[in-house]
Amino acid sequence: MTTLHPEHAHEQEGEIEIRHHFDDELDEIRRGLVQMGSLVVENTRRAGEVAVDNRLDLVDAVRAGDQPVNALYRTLEQRTFEILALQQPVASDLRFLVAATRILYEMERSGDLAVNIANRVAAHDGFPQLPEMRSLLERLVTESAKVFTSAVVAIANLDPEIGINAEASDDIVDEITERFFGTIHAHSAELGLDSAVELSHVGRFLERIADHGVNISQNVTYVMTGTFPDEDSDPPSG
Amino acid sequence: MVNSMDDVVTTRVDPVPGVEDIDLDAMVAPTGDEADDSHPVIIDVEGLNVYYGDFHAVKDVDLPVRQNEITALIGPSGCGKSTVLRCFNRMNDLVESARVEGKVEYHGVDLYSKKVDPVEVRRHVGMVFQKPNPFPKSIYDNIAFGPKIAGYKDNMDDLVEETLHRAALWEEVKDKLDESAYALSGGQQQRLCIARAIATSPDVLLMDEPASALDPIATLRIEELMYELKKDYSIVIVTHNMQQAARVSDRTAFFSIELGDSGQRTGRLVEFDHTTTIFTNPNEQETEDYITGRFG
Repeated sequence: MTTLHPEHAHEQEGEIEIRHHFDDELDEIRRGLVQMGSLVVENTRRAGEVAVDNRLDLVDAVRAGDQPVNALYRTLEQRTFEILALQQPVASDLRFLVAATRILYEMERSGDLAVNIANRVAAHDGFPQLPEMRSLLERLVTESAKVFTSAVVAIANLDPEIGINAEASDDIVDEITERFFGTIHAHSAELGLDSAVELSHVGRFLERIADHGVNISQNVTYVMTGTFPDEDSDPPSG
Repeated sequence: MVNSMDDVVTTRVDPVPGVEDIDLDAMVAPTGDEADDSHPVIIDVEGLNVYYGDFHAVKDVDLPVRQNEITALIGPSGCGKSTVLRCFNRMNDLVESARVEGKVEYHGVDLYSKKVDPVEVRRHVGMVFQKPNPFPKSIYDNIAFGPKIAGYKDNMDDLVEETLHRAALWEEVKDKLDESAYALSGGQQQRLCIARAIATSPDVLLMDEPASALDPIATLRIEELMYELKKDYSIVIVTHNMQQAARVSDRTAFFSIELGDSGQRTGRLVEFDHTTTIFTNPNEQETEDYITGRFG
């Protein structure tokens, strides 16, 4: 079990580990976050397929795929709130629960962004397919999903290192996004104004999903170390 | 009311506050934690070791207690926190086999110097115990007893009233000052004991589990009172209730037990820091394990 309080953390003769029940409750939240994050990654990839290949047949699946994300959000938020009220958590337990509420928000927003992507494509019955744009968009989907997947791994393993290095992987996403925007601009005549604007939105949504992933990883760093990576920069925000 | 473009322009030129205009330090200070390193050290403890006969009860404690702060001593049973507290007003003198080594200074004066009268120490450093222990006398006499012995010459009625006000008890007892203190509830008796302790104008109050025999509401009243009292006094509290330490104290000292080779249990100070640090991000794993309730 991945736990905030590994058994080897403190060994002194005559002392016994207690609060197993509380540990289980915290771990239930952690596993819930991993599940919720995995669903968001899956739906981001699905929404990506919708956008990259005009897979209008998958739009309903993307919309449906956000339902369990929202359900998990409500349940986990309620559980977190109850534990805060009843268990008087302190130190790493408190940091974990406070971070969990932030992470829940980041994940729920990311889930909505995946739905937004599918909805934009559906509203236009797909976009004109230009090979150069298609490959950039495909890479953007891959890289954004990768950043978000790392965030889920960070929670799964309670790994503080991922958050410390998260900005670097996000730079790749930002760079692809900029190139994607540049390509839209270059082909705006062929695309038409509507499609150009909508495709820009799709690009922005994917980039935002990666940003949420970075925030999530950094929150895990905060849980494990007590500080956010790069404290002097802007605090993670929605 | 906007009458012209000029008005609109004037309303708009109100400066928007910049980050530099906001006192972020003041904003992030939690209400409970007013630990301030500019507060002078009133009781300074360095290299404190206490023995009861052959038993080494507490070892190598460094603990500066600062003025107008509440310092909480927490830790498992037998970690020596009460022993340390009792060094602050020489209560350990009453235990025949007790031996205290190291520096315990009060306003720079060695409390264990042969020239120092322990009775005088206890006038400056008052104490409140776990169980309310009022004298079997009237409410009035409980307060007046100490000052009378100390030769108080001014108006005793005024002193009793002022003291009971300070202990947040006046309103509840003003019409029955002649009644026995035993007629009061447990929480009221404990506030009376606090009043009795401050009647002789000490500047430090030691509290050994002052609320552990009280119900939750009476407990919160004591905590609220402590919060008021620290404006005039410095308080050291021993508590088993970690949430209480978190709620009321400015600094927290976490004590633990060290097992010797032959199984002897000696108390030692693991970590001493601002209460906010201890309860949000302690430095020592041992502290973390204790306050999160994982080991004990």
